[in-house]
Formats: sequence, C-alpha cells, structure tokens
Amino acid sequence: MNATSIARPTLTPRDAAELSAIVRESTAGLRIRGGGTWLDAGHPVRASHELRLDGFAGIRAYVPADLTISVGAATTLAELDRVTAAHGQWCPLFSWGDDRASIGAVIATASAGPAAPMLGRPRDLVIGLECVDGLGRVVRAGGRVVKNVAGFDLTRLMTGAWGTLGVITEVHLRLRSRPSVDETWVVTPTPSGGAEFAAFLRGPYAPLAAHPINAHEAPTPWLVRLGGNAAFVAAAREALRALGECALETHSAWERVRAHGAPAELASRWQWNALSRRVRERFDPRNQLNPGLLGEPV
Amino acid sequence: MSEVSVSPLPDPAHDSSNESSHGDGAFAAGGGGTGVGGSGGTGVGVGPGLAAELARIVGPAHVLTRASALLVYESDALPGNQRTPGLAVFPGTRDELIAVVRCLAAAGTPFVARGAGTGLSGGALADGAVLLGVHRLKRIIAIDAEARTAIVEPGVVNATLTRAVTSLGLHYAPDPSSQTACTLGGNLAENAGGPHCLKYGVTLNHVVHATVVLPSGEVVGLDRGDAGGYDLLGAFVGSEGCFGIAVDMTVRLTPDPQEVITLLADFSSIRAAADATSAIIAAGILPAALELMDQATIIAVEDSIYAAGYPRDAAAVLLIELDGATAGLRDDADAVSRLCHGSGARGVLRATDAAARSKLWQGRKKAFGAMGRVASHLVVQDAVVPRTMLAELLTEIAAIGERHGVQVCNVFHAGDGNLHPNIPYDATNAEQSARVHAAMQEIMARCIAAGGTITGEHGVGLDKLPYMDALFTPETLDAMCTLRDVFDPERRANPGKVVPVRACKEWHGVTGTRAATNR
Repeated sequence: MNATSIARPTLTPRDAAELSAIVRESTAGLRIRGGGTWLDAGHPVRASHELRLDGFAGIRAYVPADLTISVGAATTLAELDRVTAAHGQWCPLFSWGDDRASIGAVIATASAGPAAPMLGRPRDLVIGLECVDGLGRVVRAGGRVVKNVAGFDLTRLMTGAWGTLGVITEVHLRLRSRPSVDETWVVTPTPSGGAEFAAFLRGPYAPLAAHPINAHEAPTPWLVRLGGNAAFVAAAREALRALGECALETHSAWERVRAHGAPAELASRWQWNALSRRVRERFDPRNQLNPGLLGEPV
Repeated sequence: MSEVSVSPLPDPAHDSSNESSHGDGAFAAGGGGTGVGGSGGTGVGVGPGLAAELARIVGPAHVLTRASALLVYESDALPGNQRTPGLAVFPGTRDELIAVVRCLAAAGTPFVARGAGTGLSGGALADGAVLLGVHRLKRIIAIDAEARTAIVEPGVVNATLTRAVTSLGLHYAPDPSSQTACTLGGNLAENAGGPHCLKYGVTLNHVVHATVVLPSGEVVGLDRGDAGGYDLLGAFVGSEGCFGIAVDMTVRLTPDPQEVITLLADFSSIRAAADATSAIIAAGILPAALELMDQATIIAVEDSIYAAGYPRDAAAVLLIELDGATAGLRDDADAVSRLCHGSGARGVLRATDAAARSKLWQGRKKAFGAMGRVASHLVVQDAVVPRTMLAELLTEIAAIGERHGVQVCNVFHAGDGNLHPNIPYDATNAEQSARVHAAMQEIMARCIAAGGTITGEHGVGLDKLPYMDALFTPETLDAMCTLRDVFDPERRANPGKVVPVRACKEWHGVTGTRAATNR
C-alpha cells in the first residue's frame, strides 16, 4: 500500500524554529510526513529526506466556550475528536480517510468528506495556522477568532496546497456543538422516489451528511446522518421514512464511506496555470517541499 | 436559466478601437512616467494623455478629471480621511473593465478599485492614483435555481441579488449593514460579513468562482481548489483590491428558512447581555444572528426615524434570530429565552411575523445612520475577540472611552465576538479627533492582547495599517507581501494598503489622527 517505502534519512524537528533552520540551512528536498496516511497520493516525490512532524502533536489551546481549538499539526483526528467530545463539541470534518490522519494533513490536502456540504470544508473550518514556508519563514496566518479579515489570507493559501508552499505545524479550528440527537440511517429510496429523496437532501430537514453506499446497486441505498434537537430529528426521521425503507445504523458505518473517498486523486490531476506556478516559485523557490508531488515540472 | 460563456479576452469586434490605440502606445508617457505614484496628491502616470486614452475605452462621460468632479470620490465611509484621485474611470462592460486595466498596466499607473464606496477602513481612497469604479457593471449574468448559484458582475448591489432570487425562495446570505448600497465586488474584496454570518458564514464561504483581471491585465479564473489546485480564490477574497478586480463572480444562493423567530432580550447591564451571549453559544444553539446594542445605540436609534421600539432604559439589548425548519425551532427559541432570563434579562420579546421582525432589524441595520443624530462624524470600528472575553472587553472599552472623554456606542455581532465600538465625533475638531484616535488605539491594543484581531469584516485598508505590526510577525507580513507579489508584482493595485511595506515608498502613510485633512 505504502508507495513510499523508499528509505530516506529522517529529520524530526521539535518546533517551528528547528523546522525553519532545516529549510533555511539545506537545499535538500523534503518529503513531509504527518500521520503517514496520504503518502501514496499524487506523483512520486523526489526528495532526499523525510520530514517527520511527530514533534508537533498535541492540543495547544482549548477554551470550549469559545468554540475554537489550537492543535499541533500532527494531532490525529481521533485525538481531536476525543478532546472535543468531552465538551459536547466536534470539529465536523469527517474527512476522507480515517481518524489516524493528522489534522495537518487534513488541512494540507483539504480533505473534505461526506459532511462537507452541510458542515463545511477544511477551508471553512480552519481559522488560522502556523507553517514554515519554503523560504524558512515561520508564518502565523489568520488567528484564533472565528471572524478575521486582517491581512492577506495565507490560511486559505496553505489549505489544500499539499505542503508544497509551507509545512503546516499548528492549526486553529472552529468547532461546533454536537447536535443533541445524532442518528445514522440507511435508507433505500423507492425506485420512483428519486426526486423526492433529492428534494429531502436539499430541504429544511436536510441531513448533516448523505452518501450513496453502493452506486452499482439499484435502487441505491444511502447512508444518512440526521442531527439537531429532538423535535427536529423526529420530524426529519418521519420525512426520511416516507421516502423508502429505513434502518438505523451505527455511526461507524461512516468510516467505511470515508475510507473509500479520497482527495488523493486531486493531487494526481493537479491543474497548473501561470498563477499557481508563480505561487509555487515564490513560496518555495528551491523546490524543497514535497517536490514533484503535484506533478509540476522542476 | 441562461448559460454564460466566459471569454478570456475582450471581444475584438467590440473593442477594436482600444486594441489599436494599445498598439501605438502613444498615451503611455502621457502622465510623464511609469511610477508607482501617489505620493504627492497628483499621481505619477495620471495625466491628460491617459485620460484621453481611457475616454476612448469607456466614453468621455465616464472619465472624471476635474477637481470638482473628483471631490465625490475623495473619501469612502471612513470619516476624517480624504484623498483626491488623479482621475476616476467607470467602465460599463466587462470588456471595458479589462481594457481599462490593460491600459493602466501599459502606462504603469497605480489604481484603486471601488464599488459603492461604503467601505469603513479607507480601502477605496486613491491618493493621486486612478480610481476605478465598478458600479456600472451591474448585470446579474445568470441565476441557476437548481444549483443555487448566481453569476454576477462586481457592481451588483448586495440586496439587489437577494431581491432577484426572492421568488425562487433563495437569498444571498452575507448581509452587511450597508447591503442596500454596497456592491458584491466590494464584498468580495473585503470578505464582507454581516449579522447572519454567525450561522451562514462570510463572503469567503459563499463565493465559488471568480473571473479576475490581474493588475497586469491578465484575465484568470480563480477556484476554491476542490478540483485540484491551490485555493487562489480563497487567497483573493478579502485582498482589498490589492490583487486585481473581479470581472464576474459565482456566488452561492441560500434557501430561505422555513421559519424565522426573532427575539429581543432586554438587560439592565451590558455584562449580563454578554454573559447571555456566551450562555447561548455554550448551550450549542447556533442562532442565525446574535447582535448586541448598548444604551447609547438604543437611544440614538429610538430618537431617529428608524425607531424600532427598543426599551430606552435598557443598558443593552440582544437581538437574536433563529431560523431553520419549523420543527425544533420553537424549542430553541424557548431555550434561548430561558438562557437570557438566567443571565438576568428583564424581558424577552418574541417577533414571529415579518413586519414585527423587520422593525426590530431596521433599528439594528440603520443604527449607524441613526448615530448621525449624535455627531457629524462616526468612526465605525471593527475588532474581534474570543467570545468568552466579550464581557471583560466591553467593560474595558467603556473605561477607555471615559478616560479619553469620548462616547463609545456598541452595536455588534456578539455571537462571533465581533465588536463594533463606534465613536460619534466632530472630525473638524482636531483636539476631539486626537482623543478619538487615542481611544481607538487603546481599544485595538486591548483586543489584540485578548487574543483577538483588528478587523473581522471591514478590512485593514488605510485605517488599520498601523496595527498590523502588533498583530503579525515580520515574517508573516513578509509572506503576505510575497502573496501580493504573485498577483501584482508591480504593486500598482491599491498601493500602500493592507500590509505596511516599508521598502515601498509609494504611500506617505496615515495622518496619525482622525482629523479631517485640509488641503
């Protein structure tokens, strides 16, 4: 599975300053590795060294009533979920892949997921980040508050850049309260009810997430997640039941959906144009950060 | 629904006269240089030759050069600051806009884009540069009800788009208070917010594509990156006119909620109102809007034609709107009501019909206008703090105001922690202006120290430039300059704004006080 089992000398900086020194003091190409879950995505990386971000794990700041959290980039989604769940909150990314992935990689790959249309994409949920760019600059973009238009938006620039403009070391995220009722259902819409089901997905009782389980099966069963207060979910459940056969599922069913979707293909069919080349040249002029991953010419 | 074809270049048939005059380049030296001008009031590169060239593109009626005509464009909604543009040009079509930008590129002339001039940070001030207004580009190009998107030109007024899609049960969610005047192009440039952004998100979250003319004249399509590419649209949104000008933009339309409930909670202390805000957010309820108005604001509103029936003796009110599916909404409203009472509310009024709701909102949306009764000028400030810091910050802001002998009127997006401490004053009074400026500096410093930011939705522009060093590290500011250089290596678009660039001498900086500049 792991396409990059090529042994490379490993670098393990402990903080952004050390990482900055690594980038500044060498011209070595760096293969960035967080949780190691996306190493087979994109094109082969031509790097002499592996940059491990293990030193950047952990919760840095969390005031639950602010509904924001700051975490080291190597923090896993599982850890983020565990810490926020204790306060009835979540960072509702449900990204493609699994919860072993690091939050840094989720932001770097802009890995969305089945809940993205309703609950937001990585670009909508990240409010700031720290990264070390290809010039070795420690960049602290955005901030820790939920609304912020101060300065040019380096946060959005780094989100989904696959580490090719900067190595993300810390992220600040917007959180949401978990809905008081949260149910996962499998619904098989009646063969003639396709339009009604589509209307349900866009209507006032729209689910948090909806995803077809097996598109080759007809009629296609869908996994649907309903969330809200008790009265809302009761009404949504009733609307869902009118659309076809329904069965209650466990939330773990989403893990199978997430494992099958992936942003990997985005890295393989990256669209370069004059402007994006200019971005790459200016933020990583020595082509050190994940060189080759996005298939750009050297 | 109509289809749009986006041509990368101006239609040559439509534009032949411009192309030929581009070719001879005779105008290029008209202003006497290639400068990154704007340092002395009469911009380098702006002269009769350029004006004539621009007039050939847009028609002579749409180029202003006389001082008396330019007077209108010497300020935006930031009080006490005037800058006279070298000239003003108003393209009427997409092709004209692109041709104008290419003409300015060939002449090496700096320019400042302007929508409706409702910006509150001085972002549309053009000191000797060419002021490029996009308000004539006001076509709604396409509405796709099925995809819930609209393609619009940058001069379309925010509220006009919502009116155009009302019959489809849709609206454009970001709703700045100036929405009946401000343009979507300006909203894009500023990443504008508004009360309902608490639930629905800011402009960034509602734009899915933009066609942009870069300062070089290149026309590029910018996307969010979800098809495999950098999020250059995300980088462009909120770039305050420094990265180029949107030729068209594709925005999301939001379905109207099934039901809306608006509550007005009345408090005898501003701290209690702030506590109620925290309690609502902490309880996991996400209102569509959660706005706080203090007594000074309430009285200004109630004395004005926008009187909304707010209790004049309240120290603060919260205007809370809940929307969504009917089922469950009343339970949320009941919970909010209980939480307000639990934090010390004297009463909670509930408006469910459209007329009662719009009256409650009118007072909030026109609060800034109502403050015109208090004094001739108004600084509408903008800062954000973590939500749990609201009560503390409001107490400190009151103390700062008292210390400097200025009246602070608070009317803001409490649910986001997005403060608007406003100060009515007389900008022609230098001593008073200096006190206002000093108070604002202290308030900003305090918000930064609390872990907040200097602007949540108004932009940095000219006004917030002096605070950028306190908010960002030199390396971060440097990276911002790198990003600007990707889009505008010559730094001709809105020079001297957003990021302090000491190496660049194109701007002489802010005046240092909020007094009206007299020339």
